[in-house]
Amino acid sequence: MGNESLLLLTVCAPLLGSLLLPLLGQISEKLRNGAALLMVAAALACAAGLLPAAIAGTPVTCRIGGLDLFQADRLAVFMALVSTLVGAIIVLYSFGYISHYQHRNEYYFMVVLFLGAMMGLVFARNLIAMYLCWEITAIVCWRLIGFFRDKNCVLKADKAFLVTVFGAVCMLLGFIMVYVQVAKVSGGTGSFDMEVIKRTLAGHHVSNWAVGLILLGIFSKSATVPLHTWLPDAGVAPSPVTALLHAAVLVKIGVYAYARLFLVTMPVSDLWQVLVPMAAAISALVSAGAALIETDLKRIIAYSTISQIAFIFLGLSMGGKGQAIGVVGGLLYILMHGISKGGLFLCAGIVEQNAKCRDITKLGGLVKVMPVTAVAFLLCAFSVMGIPPLGGFFSKYLVINGALTSGQLLVGFTFLAGAVLTILYLFRVFNLVFLGEARTDWVGQGVGEKSPTMVFSVGALAFLSVAAGLLVKWPFDFAQQAVQQMGIMQ
Amino acid sequence: MTGAHLFVPIVLPAAAGLLALLLAKKERLCAALALLATAAGLADAGLLFGKALNFAAPWGGLGFFEFSLRLDHFSGFVLLAAAGFGLLIALYSVAFMKGRSSAGQYWAYFLITLAFVNGAALADSLIVLLFFWEGLLLTLFGMIYVGHSGAWRTAMKAFVLTGVADLCMMAGVALTIYLAGGQMAMSKIQAHPLPTGGLASLAFILLMIGATAKAGAMPFHTWIPDAAIDAPLPFMALVPAALEKLAGIYFLARITLDLYVLKPGSRLSILLMALGCVTILLPVMMALVQKNYKRLLAFHAISQVGYMILGIGTAVPIGIVGGLFHMINHAMYKSCLFLTGGSVEKQAGTADLAQLGALRRQMPITFACFFVAAASICGVPPFNGFFSKELVYDGALKAGGAWSWGWVFYAAALAGSFFTAASFLKLGHAAYFDKPKQDKSAVREAPVSMLLPMLVIAGMCLLFGVWNQLPLQKLIQPILPAGMLKGEDFSGLIPHNWWLVAGTVAALLLALANHLWGARRAGSGLGAADHIHHAPGLAGIYDAAERRVFDPYEIGMKFADAVGWVTWQVDRAIDFLYDTVTVKLTAAFVFAVRVPHTGSHAMYLAWALVGLAAIVLLLMGAV
Repeated sequence: MGNESLLLLTVCAPLLGSLLLPLLGQISEKLRNGAALLMVAAALACAAGLLPAAIAGTPVTCRIGGLDLFQADRLAVFMALVSTLVGAIIVLYSFGYISHYQHRNEYYFMVVLFLGAMMGLVFARNLIAMYLCWEITAIVCWRLIGFFRDKNCVLKADKAFLVTVFGAVCMLLGFIMVYVQVAKVSGGTGSFDMEVIKRTLAGHHVSNWAVGLILLGIFSKSATVPLHTWLPDAGVAPSPVTALLHAAVLVKIGVYAYARLFLVTMPVSDLWQVLVPMAAAISALVSAGAALIETDLKRIIAYSTISQIAFIFLGLSMGGKGQAIGVVGGLLYILMHGISKGGLFLCAGIVEQNAKCRDITKLGGLVKVMPVTAVAFLLCAFSVMGIPPLGGFFSKYLVINGALTSGQLLVGFTFLAGAVLTILYLFRVFNLVFLGEARTDWVGQGVGEKSPTMVFSVGALAFLSVAAGLLVKWPFDFAQQAVQQMGIMQ
Repeated sequence: MTGAHLFVPIVLPAAAGLLALLLAKKERLCAALALLATAAGLADAGLLFGKALNFAAPWGGLGFFEFSLRLDHFSGFVLLAAAGFGLLIALYSVAFMKGRSSAGQYWAYFLITLAFVNGAALADSLIVLLFFWEGLLLTLFGMIYVGHSGAWRTAMKAFVLTGVADLCMMAGVALTIYLAGGQMAMSKIQAHPLPTGGLASLAFILLMIGATAKAGAMPFHTWIPDAAIDAPLPFMALVPAALEKLAGIYFLARITLDLYVLKPGSRLSILLMALGCVTILLPVMMALVQKNYKRLLAFHAISQVGYMILGIGTAVPIGIVGGLFHMINHAMYKSCLFLTGGSVEKQAGTADLAQLGALRRQMPITFACFFVAAASICGVPPFNGFFSKELVYDGALKAGGAWSWGWVFYAAALAGSFFTAASFLKLGHAAYFDKPKQDKSAVREAPVSMLLPMLVIAGMCLLFGVWNQLPLQKLIQPILPAGMLKGEDFSGLIPHNWWLVAGTVAALLLALANHLWGARRAGSGLGAADHIHHAPGLAGIYDAAERRVFDPYEIGMKFADAVGWVTWQVDRAIDFLYDTVTVKLTAAFVFAVRVPHTGSHAMYLAWALVGLAAIVLLLMGAV
């Protein structure tokens, strides 16, 4: 199979394949579940199939209807691999989790469509294609957050939709300004094609207004303070959905778009290399502090995501001498955070579903009845804290190293304080949920890790957290090659 | 022998540890595995000692990210010492941990700890060092966690305090690599150590925080006394008493000798010496009033680090040699002391001094080992602690140079010796001589497998004292850069400075007199320090300290909660903007727009005309 077909298949297998799922669901539950997993796995396999071409350094372009619609370079392949890997495990976990709720057809349709839209966004070479996929994720997200249909869920879903769409519309305005600027510079027509934008605007700065508008879109999608409060509220969704939002797809869209647009496509003013780290520092601190006070299990992990996303922004937005280190660290962070945060949410799902409670002050002592979940949670938490030999250590070190090397000492130390808070709030959650005195008689109520597929999924993510640390060389090398292709380092 | 051999000290215990984790249910198998692995480790460390080997392989990109190991004299020494303690304490643990439900996990963490410490000692790249160094957090948590069902609180405390220090060190490593122009191999930076000042001083202090906190210095120390109560006792003998001292002081010496230029009399040197003195004095004052065998020892494990930091901080050869000699001496006598504490606890069923007494008759060998180790820590000649402390004193005075402010540090260190001696007189008196408060006649001497490690270590304490040429000439002095010693030799039974000996003897005699007076006043050895404990002015401070008012962990947690509360308010305020303000504004807008929509066609038509007129005017204006 040619590389172009592989690329097309990576995007279309989940994006178009998802439409079949409700039909398959009419025939058989198992068939639909299997097909959903197969579609995501196919995307994963095809993205892996694009690796050799990506490593060789020639971007694969896919032309549809006279437009260069999709393009796979190292950055895109890296992101696609992370998303589909975590996404596939989440789909597997859903088999156990969602099996006793209604609307399962819609659920699998939306989840696979979500991943498909993500693939489209990742490989998009055209700003409008990117925007379209961006909005598909917003709609899907709206359905999934409100999945349980009661009034509160629907309100939270509306909130998420309104905030992210507000950002996206701002972003669209920004795209149009870029289009106009391209037209001005080239003296001809404008363009939404990223390669054309890159060629035409080389040596210019994109107008700061456009950057600001696009950043609004990015920050609203990646839940950065002050556009963040919809993310903790989205915790009303089913746990695999929150895992998907936090680890694999939604919030990663923003950081990916930052890398794609501002590091690869558009040259931006140095001003943003100061402003974005500062915004990220505030976001990291505010959300980490809030995580220390919150008592709802899923909301705490959501605040943790906001805080960790800020670390990724820090890595990606560094300028100066530390830029290459920071960006490599930021990309590794996307991988490590995806794996371990996915694991944390799926563990939370097991706790929530079996103990029927999300308030950490009412849980406790669950390590006795859920030993595998407890160990998996702890390993994933260690990775988020950045403790070696788990993967999170490398990404956290590189990001901090980047900040300090760029001379941004104040920002760097703010993030160190954020890292200390990370240790504190994750331990607080672990202690209150799994250790200490049980406030309820778990054994008597027959609470335990019921579904083997769910336990296997969290085990797999915990294992990946460890493996990503011990075998860090491969993702590290690839992230570095991606950064070289992005033109940031030689 | 090739560079790849350097993986053996890391991979061998790590693999054995992982295997033990899998076999955690089979306690005896795990113990056998641990004994085998530590014995093999000691043989291997003996084989490696004195050799110079290097290993490097790419470890990710960025041009400088390399997995590099280096064996030189210093790392070989640390490896050998760690392996020795590993084997002896493993032997001791077999009997001690027998029958405990968590023994399998204990063995696994024990072995993995050894692997990480070996890795840290062998690391050449600073990032590899950081990797193993921070990795120790995991097993630190695990080993305290298995103590008993409530030990996780202390485990978390240890993790958080050490974790904060490690994050500081992470920043220090990043800055150091930056200052060294992207070079991260210590063996390369060593050729041109970095001058201090400005950013470099910041980096130095950050690294220093990491190193001294690992060694157990203030203010990251408060988990150690708690762990003494909660963790399995051999953990105390292995980790805070031996391995962490080795690792922390090893890296502190690397920072001051290899990475940065530390000049005697410089501000950083004085900072280190001051940190050393504070760390000597405050914890020893706390040790004096403890009523628990293990907790008392734990405070000394903190206090003694002060001597090492003071010695290395002097930046003069005699002080550095003294500090390093004290490191190995401390590792020996303190682990021996903890082991005696363990056998007392195991045999008598408690470590509470109020319930112990007269054990010298039932446990004579344990008592003999205690006696030797206690004499060593107090600095009684001719035991090892005496010689290393004399060198540190000498260094403190020499560092003062022409202004001779060094005597301030000397006086503080000597006061530390006084209190050390006083608290060990109290401990020995209370545990081994006092009348027993309960009938302890059934108590028997500990089993041979527990006595043997104690005897070996106590023998070493004596050996390193009377034949101090062996450790000093073969182990310690070669660590210093070649040009630094200028042919000096600090070994020998005859002290270099008789004035210092007189001072030490005076302090010891004073401690003895103080003890005898206090014991007679209180009527028991246990109460011998009560007159200090309840002295006017001190009583209140002691009270507050026992209530953990000064515990940086408690203060830090309160501070973190306060930060959390403030940020939580910020977060809620932002959410208020979305959930209330936006909604209200929208409603107000809708209301305002609805008012004119009365349904009157004439009104709508009038608006349309006005609008049309506006557009026409606008277009005309544009044209």
